[in-house]
Parts: sequence; structure tokens; C-alpha cells
Amino acid sequence: MAEILNMVHELGEGLFGPLLWSLVWVVIKVVLLLAPVLFMVTYITLAERKVIGAMQVRPGPNRVGFFGVLQPLADAVKLIFKETILPEKADKSLFLLAPLLTLVPALLSWAVVPFSPELILADVNVGILYILAISSLGAYGIIISGWASNSRYAFLGSMRSVAQMVSYEVSMGFTLIPVILITGSLSLVDVVEQQKDWWNIIPLAPMFFIYFISVVAETNRSPFDLPEAEPELVAGFFTEYSAMSSGLFFMGEYANIVLVSFLGALVFLGGWLPPLSILDFIPGIIWLGLKAGFLMFVFLWIRATFPRYRYDQLMRLGWKVFLPVSLFWIFLTGLVLQLTRGIGGE
Amino acid sequence: MAVEQLDIHLVLMMPEILVAIMAMALLLLSAWTHKGGAGVIHWLTMMTIVAVVLVIQVGSGTATTFGGQFITDDFSRYVKVVMCLGMVLPVLMSADYIRGHGMDGGEYHVVTMFAMLGGMIMASSGGFLILYLGLELMSLSLYVLAAWRRDDRCSSEAGLKYFVLGSVASGLLLYGISMVYGVTGGTGFAEVASFLGKPEGHGSQLLALGVVMILAGMGFKIAAVPFHMWAPDVYQGAPTPVTAFMSVVPKVAAIAALFRILFDVFPTYHVQWVPILQLFAVLSMAVGAFGGLVQTNIKRLLAYSSIGHVGYMLIGLVANSQAGAQGVLVYITIYLFMTVGVFGLIIAFDRQGLGENISDYQGLARKQPVMAFVMAMFMFSMAGIPPLAGFIGKFSIFMAAVKGGFIPLAVVGVLFSAVGAFYYIRVVKVMYFDQPEGEFKVTLSGGGFIVVSLSLFMIFFWGILPGDLLAWTGASVQAFH
Amino acid sequence: MMVADVIFYLFATVTVLSALGVVGARNPVHSVLFLVLAFFSTAGLFVLMGAEFLAAILVMVYMGAVAILFLFVVMMLDVDFSMLRRESVRYLPMGFVVGAVMLAELGLMMAHHPGEGLHLGLDNTDNTLAIGQALYTRFLYPFEVASLILLVALIGAVALTHRERKRVHRQDISTQLARTKEDAVELRKVASGEGA
Repeated sequence: MAEILNMVHELGEGLFGPLLWSLVWVVIKVVLLLAPVLFMVTYITLAERKVIGAMQVRPGPNRVGFFGVLQPLADAVKLIFKETILPEKADKSLFLLAPLLTLVPALLSWAVVPFSPELILADVNVGILYILAISSLGAYGIIISGWASNSRYAFLGSMRSVAQMVSYEVSMGFTLIPVILITGSLSLVDVVEQQKDWWNIIPLAPMFFIYFISVVAETNRSPFDLPEAEPELVAGFFTEYSAMSSGLFFMGEYANIVLVSFLGALVFLGGWLPPLSILDFIPGIIWLGLKAGFLMFVFLWIRATFPRYRYDQLMRLGWKVFLPVSLFWIFLTGLVLQLTRGIGGE
Repeated sequence: MAVEQLDIHLVLMMPEILVAIMAMALLLLSAWTHKGGAGVIHWLTMMTIVAVVLVIQVGSGTATTFGGQFITDDFSRYVKVVMCLGMVLPVLMSADYIRGHGMDGGEYHVVTMFAMLGGMIMASSGGFLILYLGLELMSLSLYVLAAWRRDDRCSSEAGLKYFVLGSVASGLLLYGISMVYGVTGGTGFAEVASFLGKPEGHGSQLLALGVVMILAGMGFKIAAVPFHMWAPDVYQGAPTPVTAFMSVVPKVAAIAALFRILFDVFPTYHVQWVPILQLFAVLSMAVGAFGGLVQTNIKRLLAYSSIGHVGYMLIGLVANSQAGAQGVLVYITIYLFMTVGVFGLIIAFDRQGLGENISDYQGLARKQPVMAFVMAMFMFSMAGIPPLAGFIGKFSIFMAAVKGGFIPLAVVGVLFSAVGAFYYIRVVKVMYFDQPEGEFKVTLSGGGFIVVSLSLFMIFFWGILPGDLLAWTGASVQAFH
Repeated sequence: MMVADVIFYLFATVTVLSALGVVGARNPVHSVLFLVLAFFSTAGLFVLMGAEFLAAILVMVYMGAVAILFLFVVMMLDVDFSMLRRESVRYLPMGFVVGAVMLAELGLMMAHHPGEGLHLGLDNTDNTLAIGQALYTRFLYPFEVASLILLVALIGAVALTHRERKRVHRQDISTQLARTKEDAVELRKVASGEGA
């Protein structure tokens, strides 16, 4: 592996010169990272329709390609070739900017997500903080889309959605703090490596469940999909969007689902570590994929199972249940660490 | 990375810790009991303050902790006891006011305790950073308290005005602090003072500007002219117990902080700050004396009166001597009892739906001679007429000024106190010589009776036998110079 | 080094331009969005200086929470901003005076420390760790006092604005859970043909 890398580097430096090559290499890495991510984003849409179809005892898409595998491509082609309608009274520039602002943060976060100890774009030492910071920007796309559409449904939907995201971001952030406390580092590689003996889900089981429910709310997914609430708000903040501009919102949503599933797998489920050390022969990246895939499956499973929450219930759950519980768990984790490790860590 | 070894002695901070913990405990209690627990919280608040006073008494000597950020000495202990009195007496006398005006969530007491805590932190502060934080804790609580009667437009206006102007003042203070930090490279009082002790620490223009900014910020908090504009509106609009509280505790805290800044940090810059404070003092006395003449609302009158009193206190600071410092402490202690006593009576009038207008007091002497007599005594004491304690306060201040060579200032002070005496005596005139209108019978609540009679006793006692007070305050200011 | 310089000037330019945009934008919502952009590029500058913790906190707190609230307020409040703008022109000279004074003072301060650059000491250390250690040791006392200030702000905001609304039905989970089958359902045998 390392030899191949060296060969590529030499070749590249020969072709472009050292300075330009370092830039080109970054671009190559970004492309190599984003291609599978976008692939997953595309195919989770198919998975969603298939899984929910199966749960509702119907086949789901099965016409385009064998078993429907070409369905996402067909959808993409359709979305791209349809006309993007600009509402007359919309704030045009912001209206077009908003979908991008939803999708881009979801993709930016991947820079610090490790697929194995080496396979990571940037192993910065504030990885978790970076993800939290970037994901807090996702709200802008939504609030801007609601406002720029100049439509009541869209505005109400975006208000709901942003209030919901801001609320659940708090508890999501707090569930990660015990993990940071245990690890003593903000780097995701360290977080995974530290789970060699115990996956974090064992000491922090309540935090894992709060994390998962919070991210379901954070991504505006059912049963917390009040921002869309099609019976009352038509489609919420993207009521006025059509064609690819609405497609970008969907891509942002699914990219976020994939992201938080990977993050959950890394932070609570041991990342690329196998559940038993005798299963070491299976490559770590497959383990990570399986764990993240399971979490994504749960997203779909929940959607097919639960009825939608009411808005006051949603807020109550976030502020009056998750927030105190996760704060208490932070306190408890700190206390236990203090008692077992003493002041100042190891 | 090596963890810095620190001197953390929480024992020294027991009074502050006690207040903070009790305030938070009472907050939880009030959240869980809704309005039912208000009475319990009322009593627990007062018991806490009594306990805090006892804890303060346990300490002795001078000590610092948190790398000099927290100072406890005789001065801070004295000032904290005064603040505790300034907190507990208004609470004691206003139980039924609070209930009657729908302010009886326990949070009222919690926020009051936090305001006092901020004041205590200021009095013990050993650096600009913690001074600023204490000040913000106190101010923020006061903004909230001023607006506490939120269905009352005057109260909301008072809170908003206080907040906006107070924020500007905090900004000025912070800007001044940043300049001091920029020049000296430190925010701790000891660090700054040691830098100023070195040769390069002299004559910096920027530092002088910083000192001016800090004085402006602090001047706002004590309502010294020209930073007094908020005081009449806020005093009038805020609920009366809050007015009583905020005419004492924040002033004590800010003056205590000024002591530390001026005497411990910038003694070498007295050429800069003495004239400024002199100006503040003269202007405050003037505005206090003339502004009060035309008021018809007694709370506004007291606002101008407090501006005037601040002017006198500033004379003590200008004197720049131990005697001056002692004078300020004497003055402020006596001022506490006079103010609280008057507000106790105003709250008693409020029980009848009266008491905001001076005309409400017409002919009080005919109907309730005792009540009128008590009010008259407080007014005479405020005017500084012997043998009441107010005279002792003014006397010790003016003596310090004369000793320090500020004879013109002392003369001006005496003149303005003569002018100011006029409006205090006007209230007495209204009570004794005007015809009563309407029927009412003013009664004190139990707590109000205790507070008013204690205040009355103190202004007579210290007016005649000020020895103890002078001894205590004298011992407290030993730390300076 | 050169790449870093280019990035610096890029972020710095964006910061300054978006700051101008905050003041100059006609629409207040655009102003807030420019402010957000200014925050973001400032965060970028922080990263360049090696202060990644500050950058992350700036993005999380100021962009993720504070500016969102600004947006909420600006979008929801019914304020006539053109009116406000006309008013603000009157204060323009005063604003220039204040700005000039502050600039002069900053210059004075710079003059006081000639050539002595600000040393942040962030070169290679993990500055999250460094900030944490400073906050929880040397600055523990101010840190705790600051937390009390936030608590008071919270109590104040709730105490001054929260109202019990009488006509709203509140969901009380504990009462719901405490309900038993006996409270809610009554089983009756009704003979067929005799029910009302």
C-alpha cells in the first residue's frame, strides 16, 4: 500500500512539480472521498424505498434495471432535466444559494471522518468539534430557503425546522462530551482506538440512544419530520423548490443521515474495530460499513414504524428529557473518571 | 503540559460560596414548589444572609486565593456585612409588598441574592477581570429586578433604561480595562500595581485614559453626575423594595471596588483621578441638591438625594487618606440605615395604595404623630442635622477633606448640604403643616416595624455614640496606605 | 508559507468585505447573513493562526446559535427598517467620531508596543487542552462567576417573559401514565336490544 502511494507521489511530482502536486493531491483525495459518499447518498434513497416497501409488503421500485438498481439514476436524470421554477417574489440569489448551503456542510464534515486509522482526509485534533461546528451550519440552508421563498408554508416550515435543529443540536453535542471525556482527545481516530476493550455503547448506552434519537430529529426525519409535515405545510421549507434545487435538499438530508450514521458507528460502536478479536481477519472498513449500514437501516425502520410527533412533545423531549439526562451523564462520567483515574487523567 | 500549581483556599470564600449555593438551592425549591414555597423561600433567604454574616465574622486577617484574584481582609469583611444588611433589611420589610404586587415567585429572592453575590465578589476582587465579572453579575441581576413588575409600564421602562445605559457603562469600563491591560500586560491588581511601580510605568497617556474610562464606568454604577441620568427614572419605576436594595448594595460594592482600584492600583496616578473625582463630587452634590427641590414623587426625591449622598462619599475618596476612607465607610453605613428606614415607611404607605407622591403625606402628623415623627427623624438625619447619625457621616467626610487640604471642596459640600436640607425639610413641612386629605391609616407590617425601629434606633444611637462605628471603620481601612 | 499567505489574504478580504456588507446591505436579513460570512472567515483566520479551538467555538456558538437567533428576530419582528435607516443617517457623524477616536486609541496602543508582535504561544501545543487547563485552574474563579452571570440571565429571561397560559391544554406525562384502566374504562354488559 505504502509503496503504491510513493509511486503515485513520485509520478505526480514529476508531472506537476512539488507545489502544484500537493494541491492536486488534495483534490484527488477529496474526489476519492466524495465519490463513495455520493454513491451512498444516491443509493440510500433506493434502500429507503425498498426497505419501507418490504415492511409494507410491497415490492418497491423494480422496473428500472435489475431489482430497481438503476432507479436512483433515473430519478437524477429526471430531476436534472426538469425546469427549476423561480417564484416571482422570491429573493432569487438566496433562493438558489439555500440548497447548496444545506448540501455543502453535510459534505464538508466528511473531511475528518476516518474510515480506518490511515484512511482519513485530515486527522485534525479537534475532529469532533469540527463536525459539531460544521453541522450547526446546516440550519442556514433551511432558514434561508424558508425566508427567500417568500411563502408562508415555507417560512413556517423553516422556523419549525431550525428551532428543532438548534434544540437537538444541544443534546447531540452533550452526548458526545462523555465520549470526549473518556478518550481525552477530540480526534476521531483516538476515539475509535480507545474503544479497543469496550465499545463506548457499553458504558454510555443511554448516551447512544439519546444521540441516535437526537440525530433523527436533527436530520428532520420521521417521526420528527414536522418541518415537512405534508398535511399542514405541503412540504415545509422546500415547498417552493422544484427539480434539482429540491433534489439538492434531499441530497443534503440523505448525506446527513449517512454522516451521522458513520459518526454514531465511530463514536459509540467501535468504528472499524471488530466485535471479537478473532474476527480480526475481516478488514476494518467492512466492519465500519456494517455498523453504519445498520444505523442507516434503523433510520428507515423507524420511518416505517412510528407516527409523527406533535411539536410540543418534540420540544419537551429535547429540552426536558434529553438535556437533563445527558447533562447528568456528563457529570456521572466525570465523577467516575475522577474516582478511577484521579486528577489530571493518566 | 505541566499543570500550574495554584493556591486555592475555598475556606476563604465561604461567604460567597454559601450565597451561591443557597441561591441555586432556592431556585430549585421555587421551581418545584411553584408559588406555594414563596413564604419558605422568604425566610430561608433571610436565614442564609444571617448565616453569611456569621461566616464572614469567622474570618480574620488578610489573605488571598486563586493567584490573588480573591482578597479577603478587614475592609472586605466590613463592606460585605454592610451589603448583607442592605440586602436583608429590604427583604424583611417587604414580605407583603412582594405578595401584594404579584412578585412572589421565589426567583425574586434568588436574583436578589445573586445581585448581592456580585457585590461581594466586587468587594473582594483582586483583579480587573473578576471585578468586571462581579459587576456584571450584580448589574444584570439589578436590571432584571428593576423590571420585575413586568405588567407595570414604569417598571418595564425602568428595567430597559437601566439595562441599556448600564450596558454602555459596562462597555466603557471594559474599554478602560483593556487599555490598562494593553499598557501593563496584566489584569491583576497586584500585577498592574507592580508594573506601575517600575520606572516605565509612569506618565502613560493611554493609562490615564484607561483610568478615566474605568472611573466613568464605576461612576455610572454609583450614579455619580454626569452618569446619573438613569437614577430618577429607575428609582421611581422599580418596585420599592428593589429601589431600597439598589440604593445601597450596588453603591457599597462599587465604592469598595473604587477603594481597591484607586488606593491599591493607581495611587501613583492620583494626579489624574483626584481632579476627576472632585468634579464628580461637586456635580453630584449640586444635582442632588437642586434636582430634589422640584420633585413631587418621593422615590424620585430619594433618587436625587442618593445622587447627593454619593457626592459626599466621593469627597472622602478625593481626600485620598485613611481618614477619608474611614469617612466613606461611616457615611455609607449610616446612609444604609437612613435609606432603608425611609423605604420601610414608603412600603407601609404602599399598603394603603399611597405613598409615591409627596402630597400623600399631607397632615400625617395630625393623624399618626408617631409615624410622622419617625419620617421626620429620617429626613433630618439625611439632611445632616445633629444629633442624628447623618451628621456624623457628613462631619467625618468634611473633616477628612479639610485634613487632606481640600478646604474649598469641604466648603462647597457644606453649602450644598444646606441647599439639600431644604427639600428634606419640605417633606417634614408637608407632614406637619399641611391639611390632611382623605382618610387612611398607615400600618407597618411585622418585618417593616422591625426594620424601621432598628433604623431609627441606629440613627439616634450612632448620632450620639458613634464610637463603635468609628472604631470598626477605622480598623477596616488599616489596609490602605 | 506562500500558500498560507494567499489563504490569509483571501479570508481577510472576505472578512472586511462582508463586514462592509453588514453595514451597507439594504435588507436586514442580508446584513445578518453578511455577519455570518464575516464570522466564518474570521474562523478561517483563527485556524490559520493555529487557534482551531477558538475557530470551532466561533462557528458553533456565534454562527450556530447567536446568528441564528439574530436571523429569527430580524425575520419575525415587524420593524420598518427603511425608517430606521433614515434615522441612523443622522447619527452617522457621531459614529465617525467614535470610530476615529477608537482608531486613534488603538494606534496609541500599537505605538506603545512597537514591533513586538502578539505572541499567542499556540505554535504546536494542543490549544484545546491549553485553554481547558487555563480555564479550570488559573481562571476557575472567573469562569464560575461567568457561569453564574449566565444563570442570572436565564432566570431573568424566563421570569420576565414566561406566562402561564390558562387556555392552553398542557400535556402532563405523569398524569397520563398514572391513569389506570379502572379510571378510564367502564365495562358494562348491555343486553342486546335493550341498549339506549
